Amino acid sequence: MNGEDLIEKVLRAGGRAADEVEVFYVREESVGTDIKKGILGAAEESEAWSMAVRTIKDGRIGFSSTGDPDRWKECLDAALTSGRMATPQQWGGLPKPAEIPGAAPSSDPDLVVAVEDAARMVDDLLSGAAEHPVDVVGGSADLARAYLAVANTSGVFYGMDRTAASVSLETIREQSTGYEFDVSPFRADIDARSVGERSADLAARSLSGRDIETGRYDVVLSPIAAGSLLGQILLPALSGRSVKAGRSPLADKLGETVFDENLSIYDDPLAPGLGSTAWDAEGVLTHRLDFVERGVLRLFAYDLKTGYRYGEESTGSAVRSRSGVPDIGFHNLFVDGPRMKDLGDERAVWIHDVVGAHTANPFSGDFSVEVSNPFWMEGGDLARPIRTAMFSGNVFEMFREIGGLGKDARRVGRLTIPSIRLNNQQIIGK
Amino acid sequence: MPMVDVRYYDLRCVRGENTLIDIDNGVVESAGTSFFDRTVVRVLGQKGWGVLTRDHVDIDSKREIDALVEAAARLAAVTEDRLDLADAPRGILPVPPLGEDPRDVDLEEKTRLLAGIEASARVPEVANTRARYTEGIDSVRFLDSSGNEASYEATRSGFSVLAIASRNGVMQMGSERDHVITGFNLRNRQDLGRKAGEIAVSLLDARLAKGGTRRAVLDPELAGVFTHEAVGHASEGDLVREGASVLSGRIGERIGREGLVIVDDPSLHEFGFMPVDAEGVAVRRTEIIRDGVLSSYLHNRETLAAVGNGVAGHARAEHGAPPIVRMSNTFIENGDAAYDEILAECKDGILLIGSRGGQVDPGRGVFQFNAEYGYLVEGGETTDMVRDVSLSGEILSTLHNIVLIGNDRKMSPGYCGKGGQNVPVSDGAPHLLLEGAIIGGRGE
Repeated sequence: MNGEDLIEKVLRAGGRAADEVEVFYVREESVGTDIKKGILGAAEESEAWSMAVRTIKDGRIGFSSTGDPDRWKECLDAALTSGRMATPQQWGGLPKPAEIPGAAPSSDPDLVVAVEDAARMVDDLLSGAAEHPVDVVGGSADLARAYLAVANTSGVFYGMDRTAASVSLETIREQSTGYEFDVSPFRADIDARSVGERSADLAARSLSGRDIETGRYDVVLSPIAAGSLLGQILLPALSGRSVKAGRSPLADKLGETVFDENLSIYDDPLAPGLGSTAWDAEGVLTHRLDFVERGVLRLFAYDLKTGYRYGEESTGSAVRSRSGVPDIGFHNLFVDGPRMKDLGDERAVWIHDVVGAHTANPFSGDFSVEVSNPFWMEGGDLARPIRTAMFSGNVFEMFREIGGLGKDARRVGRLTIPSIRLNNQQIIGK
Repeated sequence: MPMVDVRYYDLRCVRGENTLIDIDNGVVESAGTSFFDRTVVRVLGQKGWGVLTRDHVDIDSKREIDALVEAAARLAAVTEDRLDLADAPRGILPVPPLGEDPRDVDLEEKTRLLAGIEASARVPEVANTRARYTEGIDSVRFLDSSGNEASYEATRSGFSVLAIASRNGVMQMGSERDHVITGFNLRNRQDLGRKAGEIAVSLLDARLAKGGTRRAVLDPELAGVFTHEAVGHASEGDLVREGASVLSGRIGERIGREGLVIVDDPSLHEFGFMPVDAEGVAVRRTEIIRDGVLSSYLHNRETLAAVGNGVAGHARAEHGAPPIVRMSNTFIENGDAAYDEILAECKDGILLIGSRGGQVDPGRGVFQFNAEYGYLVEGGETTDMVRDVSLSGEILSTLHNIVLIGNDRKMSPGYCGKGGQNVPVSDGAPHLLLEGAIIGGRGE
């Protein structure tokens, strides 16, 4: 039985027992090649199939999922049982079919899920890394194509293709490590050779770092470091669910200036990116959402459930994993603003990445992390490596006044973000 | 593809169900069960591995297996690296009996009990509470081309509860959790909810910790995370083989103080227990560090063949993913110092309690982890409470800086992520006194 027939069957059977039924269906194929110690040691291929079912009856939402088409009845029954446990809530119905304004650029017709192409990307990673005197520790190249569909008993049936090409490489020279990666829906975006070269360059250049003394310094966060901290701390605070539950420090600040006026944060689901989509994971049409406009907090993200419960409109922000419940999230998030020609002549501590961003306190914004590949940045260049340091601060406070944004925006997962200069930050040396 | 190109193959099929209950501020957000059935087929060709992942494979069908092995062999043909497998002892341990089987408790009762724990976290000044129950029933079947077969059922269940206290725009959190392999554990646990609430409220008055180098006492939970991050990962045979660990080439070298014993033991009936590893190899206790000396790495069959110095039986896999070298139950053995003695010896420093997690860069030999809260230690006594405090260090020096090892080891359950796979683990240690600890905090 193909996916479409099964979806219809589940909707019909479920519709007899519940007010409404929704099916979220994913079919995915992927290949990958793994490098271990500089050599191609494993090739992988995966096929996955999953179906997630939500039932709504008298405002009670039930959920189940399965990776086995033969168990669709069991899955539907489990969703109905689950619904009987759920607390009833205000519910205004699943979305009705709407005209989709335009296709979101989410897939690359030229991306072929072939292990031979993944192996070629590995060769490119390795030849890039060979430009510097380092050892390759590990790395991978992956290609994936998925078909996603959301359908409901109100007549919605949207389907889309998604592709992703990704590479990463980890290198080492003595005790100096380098890690770089790239991921894009479009195969042509991936320059594996350059990723390999940058990883090796980091490991090679970070060698023989000097100690730094504890104190306050100007800091430049690379897009990766800035993305890690913002992703862990700031993004959860923009979720309507956190806001209404009293978990967001931004909750009562709509309309207020919360960040530097040179900082804007928006989600653009119709821009090309890993999360590009014209409809969200509940079948609500998506549009651009300006969360922070020149430092002013403008809105929070909602899905249907949180929206109905609190009298807010869904912002089309539902996202979900293959087999999980929908959650509030972001499709293609951008951190943006006027860019500096360079990030300042004055000396600063440049930070490539941070270790332990997930240990930050998302409710207070406080963090204290170890930094990876720190350098003294002088005259806009990475001058000398620093051996090791910790970086402590509070995300909500530190973005109230920034030193500037670089011109080097890049994709870090679903976030596109430039380097950010921050003045007078706390660095703990050895 | 002639089958002669297949040096070895195995299949690991995990079929089962996950139950999740999520209660947020008294509202049952979701409560339900999902089903999965994933099989991973590995073929070792003339050089490296071909790995295939599929849903819903009938592993009793010889025809289906043959077709999958052939497809995996075609993948293996693109590899360029010759890998070998070490021989390893076979055998499977009995799974400990369940006190109360979670499947005998209906979803409604589970939801009601979890709601009770969540409600008990709602002490005055707590603005938000959330509790989650997770239950996983894994039915595992393994078979390989050498005729080995193993099958078992693993039942894991547990809960976490989070409280957020709020006053004048300041928010602080307290969280508690308990995950077990020994049966249903939601009954009479309101104490843990209350504790989460009380910690969140008391943190509203806590000070920010000041960064710098000083003496630190780690409680058993945090000392367990320290063991996991500072030593455990760097001893994993795959990282050692790749040259990605500072512990490479240091077997027999003293890397910690005398009397220090660090162990990984998958056979222990803690949250990281497995009756047999993911390659069908028998599991047993491995002493990574014996009396301060690095004595063993953790291995699977492939890394044992490549690196030596250790035992296989440490391969683990999330369902639907290929096995890699992982920790299970990792801990520091008891020493002889009493807790009071440790505090007295610390004199002036900081006591760190609980864990918000950690991370390590094993190649650089640098790790970081975060405590849930702590207390300043002044003149051997605990004084003011501090919050948002983390600790970082270097693997090769930090184990020499353990001044005292307590006698009160405790294990704490958790999940560990590596290579995109999460597996259940436990970590533990007695109280430890560290000198020269690098404390991160933004207090002035």
